[in-house]
Order: sequence, then C-alpha cells, then structure tokens
Amino acid sequence: MRLKHRANRTSGLCLWVYCGLHLGAAAAASPGILAQRAPDFALPAAVGDNVRLSEFLGQPVVLTFWSSRCSTCAALLAALDRYYATYRSSGLVVLAVSVEDDPQRAMQYARTHPTSYPLLLDQAKAVGRAYEIERLPTTVLIDRSGVVRYVHSDDRPGDASYVTQIRALLDDKVGTP
Amino acid sequence: MNSLSSTQSPMNTMTHRLLRRFWPLLLLPLTIPAWCAQAAAPAAASAPAANAPVADAPAADAGTGTRGLDEQIQDLKKDVVDLNKDLFVLEEELLFPANTQVAVFVSMDVGDFFALDSISLKIDNHDVSNYLYTPREVAALLKGGVQRLYVGNLKSGEHELVALFNGKGPHERDYRRAANLRFEKGIGAKYLELKITDHQRAQQPEFEIKDWE
Repeated sequence: MRLKHRANRTSGLCLWVYCGLHLGAAAAASPGILAQRAPDFALPAAVGDNVRLSEFLGQPVVLTFWSSRCSTCAALLAALDRYYATYRSSGLVVLAVSVEDDPQRAMQYARTHPTSYPLLLDQAKAVGRAYEIERLPTTVLIDRSGVVRYVHSDDRPGDASYVTQIRALLDDKVGTP
Repeated sequence: MNSLSSTQSPMNTMTHRLLRRFWPLLLLPLTIPAWCAQAAAPAAASAPAANAPVADAPAADAGTGTRGLDEQIQDLKKDVVDLNKDLFVLEEELLFPANTQVAVFVSMDVGDFFALDSISLKIDNHDVSNYLYTPREVAALLKGGVQRLYVGNLKSGEHELVALFNGKGPHERDYRRAANLRFEKGIGAKYLELKITDHQRAQQPEFEIKDWE
C-alpha cells in the first residue's frame, strides 16, 4: 500500500516536471512578437540607401539581427545570402540589422563580407528592443501582410526549416490589407 | 468497514425503492428526441415542395443575386472607409486640438544640389522628430509631395523651431545644414513648412522655414 502511494507520488512529480519543462520551452519558443504586426522602422544601411520596413508590405521579409562579434551570425548571413539569391526573383526581401554598439565595426564587417541584401545599422538598438531580441542571431520571418509568422533564435543557420518557411511565405497569397 | 455499510444501507434501500417506482421516468430523455424527429419529418417532407421553384429558377436570377451581393459588399466597404475617415478626424481633433496644434511640413523643389537623408526637428530645444528618408520618399517629395513631418501641441507664446538637414550636397559631399525660426503661437493652429530648394546661382541648396499665417 505504501509502495503504491509512493509510486503515485513519484509519477505525479514527474508529470509536474514534464509540464513545467514543456511550458518553459513553449515560452522560450514563442516570443511576444509572434503573430503580431511587425514593428516598422527606418534604418541607415552600412552601404547604400536608408531602408524602411513598411515599404516592403506585400512581400515576405526575412529580418535577421546580427553582430560582428557573433561567429554563428557570419554563417547565418552567408546562408541568407544563398536563400536571397534563390528567392529574390520571387519577391523575397532580406534585411540584416546590426545591433553593434560601434557602427564603424559593423561598417567594416559589411565592407569585408559583402552581401547582396542590405546590412542595416541600429546603433540606438531601438529596433532590437521593438523586436524583443534576447540573443544573437535571431531571425524573424514576416509575411506579406506584415505579420511576424516565424522566429528563429537558435544556432542552426543551415536549418532546413528556413527554406520550408520561406517557401510557405512565398506561397502565401495574402495581399496587402 | 461495517460501520460504513451500515450508514449507507438506508440510503441504498431508498434509492432502490425510488428506482423501482419511477423507472419509466428514466426513459423519458430517450423518447423526447424520437418525438422531435417524428414531428420534424412532415415539415422536412413538405420543404422540398416549397423550395422546388427556387431550385428551378433560371441562371439569370442567380446572376442578379450575385450582383446584388457585390453591390452590398461595395457599400459596406465604402461605409468602413467613411467610418475610418471620421475616426481619424475625431482622433486628430482630440489629440491635437486646433488651439494648441502645431504642424511641420516638408517640401522639396528640384533637389539637384541636395540628396535628402534625414531631418531632425527641435522645438524649444527638445527633440521632437528624427526622420530618415528612403529613396522612394525622396522621389515622392521631388514629384511635388508634401509630408507632414510632425504634429504636436504647444501652448500660446513664443517658440523656436530648429531643423537639421542631413544629406549629400554638391559633388556627393556630406551636407549638414540647420535652419531656425522663432514664431509666435496664437490661439489657432500653427502650420510651418520646411522648404528645400536649389539656389541656381550659388549652385547650393537652400533651406527655409515658412510660417503659414
């Protein structure tokens, strides 16, 4: 009888731990901006003209936050360059926002690692705050109607889910509101 | 265990007695849906007869029906747009009443000697706006567009507006110029315009703040 009671208690505890872990994981994987309208911004580019996000309404946008100090970011920027080369003609827009304190460092990085999409400078980190960025790299995928559909804050730039999600956004026929 | 059974036994016996007497009542919920189905059957049988002329209606009627629906949707859309406009006006009136309102507009003429990048606005030494221009926005200004850069509230009296223009000047050089205006805010709304024009003789851009009286 006592053994049965102890077994019940242990299984109850396990259930609580399991639920807690799952809830924690869900909270980490679903930040506040998910399924929300993407906050608009205008930022200067390291090379080229200023960019305003709202001008791309009607096109799917991949927005990534990076820093020259983060080694994974370099791999992710290179992977995004490949995706952009593939899906650019389908209307995909890729923007990379640097959240570096020193804009000179970001500009130097942009010169030494040229990309076919704009590398933007967010010196004041206002955009990073608006998108609730907690770690680098973080990538936000925005659909044609300007709503955040996917958020990646993992360290897997070669993740196949990027392509799947980009294709899903491109296939989405939702027009501008 | 015995005490428990002894306390429950009178209750059990009473339940048994009640069940024995009123068991037909338990079947009542099962019979009600059957009665409802029976009652609905004649109605359902008569329904096709009543609907038969509608099913045989010509395709033209269906066309007019769709057109009517389209018109209704268009009317609804128009109503939504009108309502949105009214709400916008109401919001403006509430947030920026005419007696305290001050609005700053930007216009650009030609722009051969200046490529606009950003404008920073200060009113009474307080930063009120910092706007970054994209090539599309600059193109819209060059086509004759006028942008409302800032709208806010100011109390009556004397104020100072300082506008800082950043961009590329002649020969692709970084260009940074400031213009300021002291103005008197009265009872009515105050409208100010930042004008960027080309000075052909000096081959330089000109920055002017115009007070719309």
